[in-house]
Amino acid sequence: MRRWLLLQLGRAGLAAWATASLVFILSRLLAVGTEDAMLSSGNDLQVRTASTSAVARQALRQRLGLDEPVFYVTRISRNSASWRWHGTHNQYHHWLAGLLHGQLGWSYRDGQPIGPKLRTALVYTLPLAGLAAVAATLVALALGLVLAGGPLAASLTSGRAALHLVLSSLQGIPVFMLALGLLFLFANPDALDLLPAYSLADNPDGLLLGAYLLQLIMPVLTLVLAVLPELALPLAAALRHELRADYVTTARAKGVPAASLLRRHALPNALPPLLTSFASLLPSLLAGTVVVESVFSLPGVGRLLAEAAAAHDYPVVVAGVLVTAGVRLLGLALADALYALADPRIRLAL
Amino acid sequence: MSRLLRRPHLKALPLLAVGWLVAVSTAGLLAPWLPLPFAAGVPDLLHVAEPPSWAAAPQHWLGTDLFGRDVLTELLFGARQVVLLSLPATVLAALIGALAGGSAGFWGNRGCRLPLAAGLVLLAAIWWLIALPGGGQVACLLLAAAALAWWAAPRLLWVGRSAWPLPLDSLFQAAVTLLGAVPRLVLVLALAAGPPLSTGQLLLLLVAVAWPEPARQVRAQMLQVRTLPFVEAARAAGLTTGRIWFRHALPHACRPLRATVPLSLAGLIGLETTLAFLGVGRPPDVSSWGQLLSMLRQEPGAWWLLVSAGGALLFTLLALQQLARSNR
Repeated sequence: MRRWLLLQLGRAGLAAWATASLVFILSRLLAVGTEDAMLSSGNDLQVRTASTSAVARQALRQRLGLDEPVFYVTRISRNSASWRWHGTHNQYHHWLAGLLHGQLGWSYRDGQPIGPKLRTALVYTLPLAGLAAVAATLVALALGLVLAGGPLAASLTSGRAALHLVLSSLQGIPVFMLALGLLFLFANPDALDLLPAYSLADNPDGLLLGAYLLQLIMPVLTLVLAVLPELALPLAAALRHELRADYVTTARAKGVPAASLLRRHALPNALPPLLTSFASLLPSLLAGTVVVESVFSLPGVGRLLAEAAAAHDYPVVVAGVLVTAGVRLLGLALADALYALADPRIRLAL
Repeated sequence: MSRLLRRPHLKALPLLAVGWLVAVSTAGLLAPWLPLPFAAGVPDLLHVAEPPSWAAAPQHWLGTDLFGRDVLTELLFGARQVVLLSLPATVLAALIGALAGGSAGFWGNRGCRLPLAAGLVLLAAIWWLIALPGGGQVACLLLAAAALAWWAAPRLLWVGRSAWPLPLDSLFQAAVTLLGAVPRLVLVLALAAGPPLSTGQLLLLLVAVAWPEPARQVRAQMLQVRTLPFVEAARAAGLTTGRIWFRHALPHACRPLRATVPLSLAGLIGLETTLAFLGVGRPPDVSSWGQLLSMLRQEPGAWWLLVSAGGALLFTLLALQQLARSNR
């Protein structure tokens, strides 16, 4: 089991490094017009001739470190194609070395270091994603138990069929549609004006806990609705599978009540195979925050990533990819711990 | 028509779903030639962000958006994104996924063996193409070795037996793990963060993130299919392995795709509209349902945008789910 976990973590870590490297190199190679875009957006009012613009572009390239080669080797094809070795003076090496020292780089947009930016954003995202993860898990457990029914409920009743239909319909709806729908229903002066839709950033320090929680209701609800079907439906299917097993018949013959049969006998056996999907819960919640924080204008990591992607701010985008991949590693480790908790054979073998 | 509806296997719901999908694809294909009262992308600056008006002279049947463009026109042109971007991406991803997953599942890590001569020729070609040091000479040397191996194969036993196993399954798993390291939305956001992409580039990007899903299903099914007696019978009948794989095993291994391709189309439509909603990767003048919906962030009271664009998107996704359910 430990070996399995180490193998999984190693593979996921390797994949995370490879993905981040790929995004880094592709963004540096493909984005030739970055400095032009920045120059034109930065100082529109300046009258620029061709020569000053060339000088300014060169200065900007130097400041951003874009004048160095991107990778260790470059392929040059002047008359005959060949490779050229640049040594350690290249953008990728500097980025990787900075990463190993905990330095994520500087944003293109405002020149600020990315680490503190991410930290302030995580203060908003962690409670949101954490609350959503806990709520989604609890609701999924409850709904799974309801959907599975008792050991005697062989066929789906109409109520359960309707619930099943609603859940499976929710599965394909994009997160932003859910968010817009909730926003329109519950924070609309024309419909129900129940919940506040405005941002947390309006009032950062004098925030009361109650108001804070009230503002988190809709984002958390959106995230829960988005991940609920992929948790609850497989759980219900696994429970129904377990209810057909022989040990359930034996327990029923011994007179175990239906509710405790479901919770104490079937559930512990149905859970372990599903823990892999619980491992992907955290990264998919983080992907959900990209949309949710944009809609509800919360200044978290997701909105940071979405705005950086819209503004071609590559260092921030690469950092966001790294954070997401790190969260996936965390999810894998967490799923392993839960696996040990859910399966006594593994717990006792440790 | 009424007799059609009464037949037991043609219920109203699947018919409705197919009808809606046909309507959306027709609208998407024919949008530039439809007789619309307002041209696409042309703002009506006198009527900006107005709810539907049926009585007054400029009849914007579904209202106008924040730039003053007619919502009905934008909606019909937005259907083009579904037909010309998401649908081809899904089909391509399913094809690539079926081929990749099918070969990884059928041959595994040791099943596909490259003869020594063919392997050397391949190596020479790669060496020459990416111009590794000593390009031409080394490639010629490798080719000579390949010719020698080809000559020796029927004559010397150890040359004839030696072959390089292609670790197809490991390569496949590595690619899937690499693409699964971060959620699909984050990967697409990161790769589309550059200057606006053309339709072809976005199509390639969507295919690149979408193919692992069908590939995994085909691989899992292929692992079962390859042990079935009819594959063994085909082998005993003397068919070549490639033919058995393509003509006999692959069609069976692709069966789960019938139910999952509509769902992955729904997933890609969701991804594409999310990109447009966030304003990433596309030039702002491309009409899309996601872009219409993104205006709700600036104008939360624009119910007609939510009803029209949101309704179109919702009906399309639900219809695709219904299609998947009836294909199961």
